[in-house]
Amino acid sequence: MTLKILKKAGQQILTSNLLGLFIVMIVMTVVFTALNPGYLTGKNLLNILTAASLSGLIAIGESYLIISGQIDLSPGAVAAFAGVLSGLLAQKGVPFILIVPITLCVGALFGSVNAFQVNVLKIQPFIASLAIMSIARGLAYIMCGGKPVFISQEAYIKVGITRILGIPLPVIILIVSFLVFGVILGKTRFGRNVYATGGNAAAARLAGIRIHQIKFKLFVISACMASLGGIILASRMNTGQPSAGQNVDFDAITASVLGGIAMTGGTGSLSGTFLGVLILQGFNNGLLLLNISTFWQDVARGLLMMFALTFDYFRKKKREI
Amino acid sequence: MKHELEFRQISKNFAGVPALTDISFSVSEGEVLALVGENGAGKSTLLKILNGDYQPSEGSYLLDGEERHFLSPNEAIGAGIGLIYQERQMFDELSVAENIYVGRLPEKHKVVDYKELNRKAAEIIAEFGLPIEPHRKVKELSVAMQQMVEIMKVYSRNPRVLAFDEPTACLSDKEAEVLFELIGRLKEKGLIIIYVSHRMNEIFRLADKIVVLKDGAFVAMHDKKDTDENSLVNQMVGRPLGSMFADQIERKEGMETALKVEGLSGRDFWDIDFEVKKGEVLGFFGLVGAGRTELMRAVFGADPVLAGTIEVNGTRQNIDSVEKAIRLGIAYCSEDRKNEGIIPLCSVKENMSLVILKRLCSGMFIRGKKEQDFAKENVEKFRVRTSTIDKRIYQLSGGNQQKVLLARWLAMNPEILILDEPTKGIDVGAKSEIYRMIQEIAAQGVAVIIVSSELPEVIGLSDRIYIMRHGKIAGEVGRKEAEEELILRYAMLEEVEG
Repeated sequence: MTLKILKKAGQQILTSNLLGLFIVMIVMTVVFTALNPGYLTGKNLLNILTAASLSGLIAIGESYLIISGQIDLSPGAVAAFAGVLSGLLAQKGVPFILIVPITLCVGALFGSVNAFQVNVLKIQPFIASLAIMSIARGLAYIMCGGKPVFISQEAYIKVGITRILGIPLPVIILIVSFLVFGVILGKTRFGRNVYATGGNAAAARLAGIRIHQIKFKLFVISACMASLGGIILASRMNTGQPSAGQNVDFDAITASVLGGIAMTGGTGSLSGTFLGVLILQGFNNGLLLLNISTFWQDVARGLLMMFALTFDYFRKKKREI
Repeated sequence: MKHELEFRQISKNFAGVPALTDISFSVSEGEVLALVGENGAGKSTLLKILNGDYQPSEGSYLLDGEERHFLSPNEAIGAGIGLIYQERQMFDELSVAENIYVGRLPEKHKVVDYKELNRKAAEIIAEFGLPIEPHRKVKELSVAMQQMVEIMKVYSRNPRVLAFDEPTACLSDKEAEVLFELIGRLKEKGLIIIYVSHRMNEIFRLADKIVVLKDGAFVAMHDKKDTDENSLVNQMVGRPLGSMFADQIERKEGMETALKVEGLSGRDFWDIDFEVKKGEVLGFFGLVGAGRTELMRAVFGADPVLAGTIEVNGTRQNIDSVEKAIRLGIAYCSEDRKNEGIIPLCSVKENMSLVILKRLCSGMFIRGKKEQDFAKENVEKFRVRTSTIDKRIYQLSGGNQQKVLLARWLAMNPEILILDEPTKGIDVGAKSEIYRMIQEIAAQGVAVIIVSSELPEVIGLSDRIYIMRHGKIAGEVGRKEAEEELILRYAMLEEVEG
């Protein structure tokens, strides 16, 4: 009898989205705090959020794309490209107020090419964005000759260190972005069309939705979020690193799936993705506090991805019954 | 001893919701048993229990008096129970012979023995008496012949029980004929045959026994000779149906032309002329593959037009996209509900509002309350059976999904409404409701085009009927001369005299 109840509760947790994520988060926090009391402190929580700013911003674009039935493997490389480009612009004395729009526009080009490949050449988004990933990363190295670009421009560096009411600016940008894009996804016609495109592209097209236009916008959004994340990262590090953002697309995809966005598209929400990002970063941070080697972090990252996909599998199974 | 299949008090629950309750009946060799009932009555669930796809929650079934449990369709087929699914499950790029023997290809020295394979396949094809060559790729065959390959695949494993789940849903009347003859022969060979269909004439033609299911429960089992269409339908829906088609209103002459097509050519259709007037129901009949769907998709801007002109309300239009067609007041409800109609993971509400979402918005934001009211109103108006408007649409039965799609398109107040196979695979109750809606819509002055492969439906609804054959219009008949035989002759024969 108790076994039956436990089994049922287990199913509930596995399939009910946000509740399950909260439980995972609590268990994780309890375990890490027990191992290192420094884990559950305000300072460390802000650390987690700050560290999440890049993968979090990228997860927003990634979530939109996965819901629409696409995927993007290039944002990490685009972020590195944006960091290097903006660093070089800063060295040339371009004012920060111009650096941001220029970098976003150049970044958006990568997204446009991605969309062109998918819409016109009918290439699978997985492969198309893999090509862009390599191009963006390569260009980042070429632009700076392989050496990190040091940034001394005051306005630029301020982004990473400014605090408002004690909260770092990158964290505020992250949270505001999640709110804005969450509302767009849930409450606007554009958001609804994203779900329709991912749920059934043929039906969406026959209902008059311009699915090519939607995909174009989504790839551009993804590239812009990556560029923004790249600028913020460069500011926090005082350097534009061509090697930055190596695993962030992976993290962003894991966070999205963990948060309940089906790999097959058509369903999910940004609130889930946000929790997914927190869990992921919380986990990385916990390992760091325990002085576990970064090599193990790669293993942990892979295990989390497997865990997320298991979640996805159970949710899908539930939908099919 | 005669082979016999017996269901004994089968029940099946999904997450506590009963889909089948206490089903018992039996059927013996050389018999065709038809399973009838509305969508959601539990027919498919029962078939899936039979072939091991689902496990019964309670009860069991017996083959030749022996209780059997199969954990997978593979196990079931090994024990002589084959199910022909509604959707064909073929490898398009492989040959007929390879498809028949997939997973069991004969080998010689560890490589496939194609000579032997083709010989064995040819034997079965000859037994079925079909004009197919074993080495042809499946994708080169017609839909009906592909279905035959599917049946041969199951048959080649010497089944004792063959179950068909709506096998004629994608077949034209002529193609179905081939299937019926085959079923007759399989029956003579002593197979037990279970046949699920919505089409009454098929059931009365094929079945020896008829089992009626309703809401997952057993209602009755009849010998064919002891029952008739009306009483069956009565038992299925629990209410007398009367005539499915309301009497047609006499239409006034001289109504304006809503859509006029001249010399239109595109993929799979050539040089098509037709016109439809406001308030008229125009039928398009033809065998599957006659080019009707392709023609309508081109008119709707979903496929390219190669030549010819389209006039909407007297103005020539170049319809190069779906959005343009919608702006001109054309609505097209696809024949393929699953792949081109519903957005499965979206709710009933979201599916309904898809086309007119802009009207429910202020700026870029959807007005939640307005959308809810819109959905609630239409769920009621179209009698969609759903517990809430937030239910995901794939959880609804086919008939109710179709009503949601009708609501989606009617919400835009179309001037021209194209319905492609509007009642494909849906139950009798929902069918008659959809017929009633179509007639109401036309009465309001909408030009309605019905594409259908069901003759009674085309004849019952249409004011005029165009018949297509091989991508061309083969004939036109008015309501008064509309007889099944004449229409079929146009659809199937090269020359029609008189």
